[in-house]
Amino acid sequence: MTEFYRQYLSVAVLIGAAALMFGAMLGAGRLLRPNRPQPEKFITYEAGSDPVGGWGQSNVRYYVYALLFVMFDVEAVFIFPWAVNLKSLGVYGLIEMAVFIIVLTLGLVYAWRKGVLRWA
Amino acid sequence: MNPHVDFHAFAPEIVLTVTIVAVLIADLFTDDSKLPARIAALGVLGSLVPVLTLAVDGQTRSLFGGAFVVDPFSLVLTGFFLVAGYVTLLLSFDYIGEGDYYQGEFYVLLLTSLLGMIVISSARDLISIFVALETITIPTFVLAGWRKHDTKSNEASLKYFLIGVLSSAVMLYGMSLVFGLANSTVLVDIHKYASGHTPALFAVAVFLTLVGFAFKVSAVPFHFWAPDTYEGAPTPVTAFLSVASKAGGFVALLTIVRLGFFPSGNSWQPILWVLAAASMTLGNLAALRQTNIVRMLAYSSIAQGGFILVPLAVAGDVRGNAAWQAVVIYILIYGAMNLGAFAAVIAAARRTRSAEISRLAGFGRTNPAIAVMFSVFLFSLAGIPPLAGWFAKFVMFRAVFDANTTVAVVLGVIAAVNSVIAFFYYSGVVRRLWFDEPAAGVELSSPRLPVGLSAAMGLMTAVILVVGVYPQFFARLGEIAFQRG
Amino acid sequence: MIAAFTITPSFYLILAAILFSIGAVGLLVRRNVIVMFMCVELMLNAVNLTFVSFAKALNDVGGQVLVFFTLVVAAAEVAVGLGIIVAIFRRRRDATADDLRTLEG
Repeated sequence: MTEFYRQYLSVAVLIGAAALMFGAMLGAGRLLRPNRPQPEKFITYEAGSDPVGGWGQSNVRYYVYALLFVMFDVEAVFIFPWAVNLKSLGVYGLIEMAVFIIVLTLGLVYAWRKGVLRWA
Repeated sequence: MNPHVDFHAFAPEIVLTVTIVAVLIADLFTDDSKLPARIAALGVLGSLVPVLTLAVDGQTRSLFGGAFVVDPFSLVLTGFFLVAGYVTLLLSFDYIGEGDYYQGEFYVLLLTSLLGMIVISSARDLISIFVALETITIPTFVLAGWRKHDTKSNEASLKYFLIGVLSSAVMLYGMSLVFGLANSTVLVDIHKYASGHTPALFAVAVFLTLVGFAFKVSAVPFHFWAPDTYEGAPTPVTAFLSVASKAGGFVALLTIVRLGFFPSGNSWQPILWVLAAASMTLGNLAALRQTNIVRMLAYSSIAQGGFILVPLAVAGDVRGNAAWQAVVIYILIYGAMNLGAFAAVIAAARRTRSAEISRLAGFGRTNPAIAVMFSVFLFSLAGIPPLAGWFAKFVMFRAVFDANTTVAVVLGVIAAVNSVIAFFYYSGVVRRLWFDEPAAGVELSSPRLPVGLSAAMGLMTAVILVVGVYPQFFARLGEIAFQRG
Repeated sequence: MIAAFTITPSFYLILAAILFSIGAVGLLVRRNVIVMFMCVELMLNAVNLTFVSFAKALNDVGGQVLVFFTLVVAAAEVAVGLGIIVAIFRRRRDATADDLRTLEG
């Protein structure tokens, strides 16, 4: 056993612990909950709307939400390095990040004013 | 810890950013459809103020570890981009206003692209050059597809987009190799690295980076997107693409070659030589057989791009700054005459309702004022004295003679032959304007031209005449650009 | 036994070069706009891999910073590109580059 593999031991332990916790939570749920099957309960959950059978084309309207998500998700990348250095950057860094987030929020305000967020 | 940041140094960028935010808010929360346009115009002029104060101050300011440098070079080009942006706004007011939709977005995108340009003139490292270049390009993808319900405009946008992202990827791959070899993203360090012995991989890295730029400045053989995109996009956007965004690419190319790759001449000179020769020749030959004025100008701007590349390609053998000055002077003059030419195309299209050259027949008799200015722009593009275009060609040839090597002289001969070819198609349009009988069905009594459009044309004509007669004016700007601050 | 086999930075660089080439070839060969688009993303990710492995090998954080910017720029390109593709989809049902015939020449 080399040092190289020993490093991965912690990963294996983590995976084991995660599987154990996952199984325990689902198992506890199964033991505790009442079991009353209904046909509706077996329908695939599709964000609240009625599912379409087979391979359907997804609604174009999802596209806007997906895009908004991607944009904000990726911009969040810049917040992480800032958060790590929050203390050393001080008030100046705080103001800089506030400006960044305000400009970012402006994008959301834009989407809202243009009625993109309304599910019509 | 409060890092010391010299806010004066990027005051132009700050003013423009605030303007973009203000235009967006004005568009969202007011019903006044003219307000976004007014704020945009005011903001662009406002950004010129700190450029002037920085110029008066005259001090070279280096920020962020040398990644962002404000020196005479960046100030001259920032000023150029802002003026070009303002003229584009003048062209757009009525064109976009008459379509009467998405006005606010148009100005936001245009200004964002402009912001990228003024950043790129100060950018001195790979990261800032890349980010600025993308800030220029991404909004223009949307602008090219502005006429959403027009298939041509959609396709123009898609083609431009695919080529744009491809070129970014190629350029970035080149940059990643440069970074790996030179161990830095700052151009000064890359310059140091290139002064030593470089491995073959460095040549590959330089090649990939330059190919990326070749797409951006639509140099042959990476030009095929330009005519289609120029034709499909709304004409003011085409003017912007062919002048400002192309100049942005050239400025970045100049910076990266001059301050980065320069000592390793063998890696970049042959590439630029081929690009320059191919762009001039193919651009001009293709322009000869165009029947659509916008496509003709598209190919002509590819050819003009080739002329701009000539001094760059021979720069390694030119002592001092003459070659770099030639590039900057050519960009400034090219900007004035091409913006003017597109303004004239927009003005003429308002009367003829067409972009076909044949429809311009006899236009000089029905609309002499527009036709005179149109002819001035075309003759200037052809390089005929005493219009500004001749001085641009003059400084280019002077750089070739300064270099005085066989390869440089061959390139100079190619450029000379091409100037003659170019004269044919430019003068062909002028002949049609003045000496052909007017085509039937062209409206003669049309509404007056919008003020913005007339102002833009008048301004550009004045610049071309003044610079043509007193070339010292732009020559001095070229000198200032490369003075030690 | 495998311990003698060390992974050097050049492994990552070669992998990145292969990914980049796959992306470039795919872009030229495929005709579906979405697939072409995915090929570009593959190329960009190859670039990211190159930057990160150089940054690690040279112990220079600059390369990793550039990856941040590449990611963000790529996301912006995705947003704009898909927008354009959706605009074209609305006018015609499929999206292949060969259909873009109106502006030929």
